[in-house]
Amino acid sequence: MTELREISLLEAIKEAYREEMQRDDNVYLLGISIQAGTFPHTTGLCEEFGPSRVVDAPLAESGMIGCAFGSALQGMRPIVDFMYAGFAYYCGSEVFLQAGHFHFMHGSTFPVPMTMVGTCGLGRRVANEHATLPYGALIHHPGIKVCMPSTPYDAKGLMKSAIRDNNPVFFLWHIGTIALKGHVPTEEYVVPLGLADVKRQGRDVTVLTSGVQVHNCLTVAEKLKGEIDVEIIDARSFEPFDRDTLLTSIEKTSRLVIVDEDYERGGFAAEVTAQVMEHGYDLLDAPVKRVCHPHMPIPGGYMEAYTTPTPERIEAGIRDVCR
Amino acid sequence: MALTNDQKLKLFRNLVRAMTLDQMMMRLIRTGRLVGFYHEGGVALAPSVAAGTFLEKTDPSWPHLRGHGIAHILSRGIDPKTYFAEHMGREAGCCKGRSSFHMSFPDFHIWGASGNIGANFPISVGLAFAAKHRTTGQIVMNCSGDGSYAEGRAHEAMLMAANWSLPIVFWCENNLMSQHSALADVFPGERISVLAPGYGIPADVIDGQDLFACGEAALKAIAHTRSGKGPYMVECVTVRCHEHSVGSVNKAGTQQRAPELMAKWRHDLDPAKLAAKRLIEDGVATEEQITEIWAETAKEPAEIEAFCEQSPRATPPIEDLVTAVYAA
Repeated sequence: MTELREISLLEAIKEAYREEMQRDDNVYLLGISIQAGTFPHTTGLCEEFGPSRVVDAPLAESGMIGCAFGSALQGMRPIVDFMYAGFAYYCGSEVFLQAGHFHFMHGSTFPVPMTMVGTCGLGRRVANEHATLPYGALIHHPGIKVCMPSTPYDAKGLMKSAIRDNNPVFFLWHIGTIALKGHVPTEEYVVPLGLADVKRQGRDVTVLTSGVQVHNCLTVAEKLKGEIDVEIIDARSFEPFDRDTLLTSIEKTSRLVIVDEDYERGGFAAEVTAQVMEHGYDLLDAPVKRVCHPHMPIPGGYMEAYTTPTPERIEAGIRDVCR
Repeated sequence: MALTNDQKLKLFRNLVRAMTLDQMMMRLIRTGRLVGFYHEGGVALAPSVAAGTFLEKTDPSWPHLRGHGIAHILSRGIDPKTYFAEHMGREAGCCKGRSSFHMSFPDFHIWGASGNIGANFPISVGLAFAAKHRTTGQIVMNCSGDGSYAEGRAHEAMLMAANWSLPIVFWCENNLMSQHSALADVFPGERISVLAPGYGIPADVIDGQDLFACGEAALKAIAHTRSGKGPYMVECVTVRCHEHSVGSVNKAGTQQRAPELMAKWRHDLDPAKLAAKRLIEDGVATEEQITEIWAETAKEPAEIEAFCEQSPRATPPIEDLVTAVYAA
């Protein structure tokens, strides 16, 4: 019997960790101050699984990801937690040139099953290093799968898929979803990587988004109800990306707005726009509109509140394509 | 640790093969037969051979770029022919001809390589972490040159290996040159192993032209790490009597390195000649046996070349490549 219960997004991640660590002895956690729990998704796990499976690393991101990487080659299933996803940039070589490329470069003969985790996104006014959203950069580099949930349900299901995947997966969670609560069943389930989710049905315009921006878009859609009927697609997974779900939606709405908190230049929104040009040009009645972070460093302080895709900017973008 | 006569002969055979195949690579690249580059091993291959000769089959190792690690793998008992095929861009290459110069021998826990110098260090931490976590008894042989110890990831790895008491041998083949810079110009001091005590890692400095000293050092370091005492560092001091990569300059900063000195080193510091002399002096082998080892080894290049030549150039369709990026 399904127990109707609500837990937070980080509690959902922790449940995925706990269940996968119980299921497979090869799964272990490695990160900076994860035993104490910088964020609550690891709190209590060291007490439960011991310090050999919930490992505090020194401030050495290259060493840390290398530890995960090397142990993955030997058959373990590491989860390496960067705390902030921007800290993964310390080990750009490992992330961009090694982890995702290793399988192919060596003849596609052995897997590299590792999960990378980090928070990202605007909302804490602490600027670029802590807020940067790396999925645009990550999808540019072949070999790494990338996902970000917008709900606790998706968080648990995506994390389980990430841990079980035989490739490097970067699991991002948005800092703005830290306290978000939602329904998570007690029964076993997974959310496959590469499957988008229609979070709201609509007829007039498709909005493709992810993470905390799903909730901003839902707010805007409610406001526009009766005037513009907005369909909202949560990408959930950036690589692999579920283009079919998007094209099916555009076939109905013929309009597309992409709300992407990452930098506008050469990012996920740009990539999807190009794919829609190549595979769905005839479906569109208006040019694709991007609502992204402008091409400037993410600022801290009070100005952050208007460089991010706000409900006002999202509404303006929707109105722009629905003129 | 004293070497037995069998161990000395094994080291010597491996060195003769390594130096023969190094010169085979030189011939291949000079005649335009390799698809990529080559970094000559020259007279610096005694440490490379010693690093591999005494490992167990399941011990992960990360070969050094010098001599493209051929010495490191053949001394482990790996047949290097698929690695030559890789260098020639052939379907039979150990990475299916995709990499130009990477090696991959999963059966020997050599998973791959990297063109980014120092990439080996963090990955060795992980290989050793898994060995310790699962109590497999494996040790990790992490080979690299002096230049790589400038990478921050080398220091991160030494820190983590020491802190977690991981079974890693930091095997440094110090040829006193970091690409086109003298070590003295880019590193404060003459010995890389001065870093080790800072992390509480014991270290030895060895004459890298002395094959048997290298072999003894390898046995000692392997025994230390295998017994669970944590990481160990060995610095083998050697020379580079040629340019960094074939066809590049042989300068230290703005200074040309003297051709006469290079020729003298190549002659005087040849580790196979030095080792042969010792084997004969110590009564381990006769001159005839030494000659026989060279003669036997001289057959191998033709066999390798024939193997590579019968394999077609790897030019698979793009569709096959893009679907090979992710593991199932």
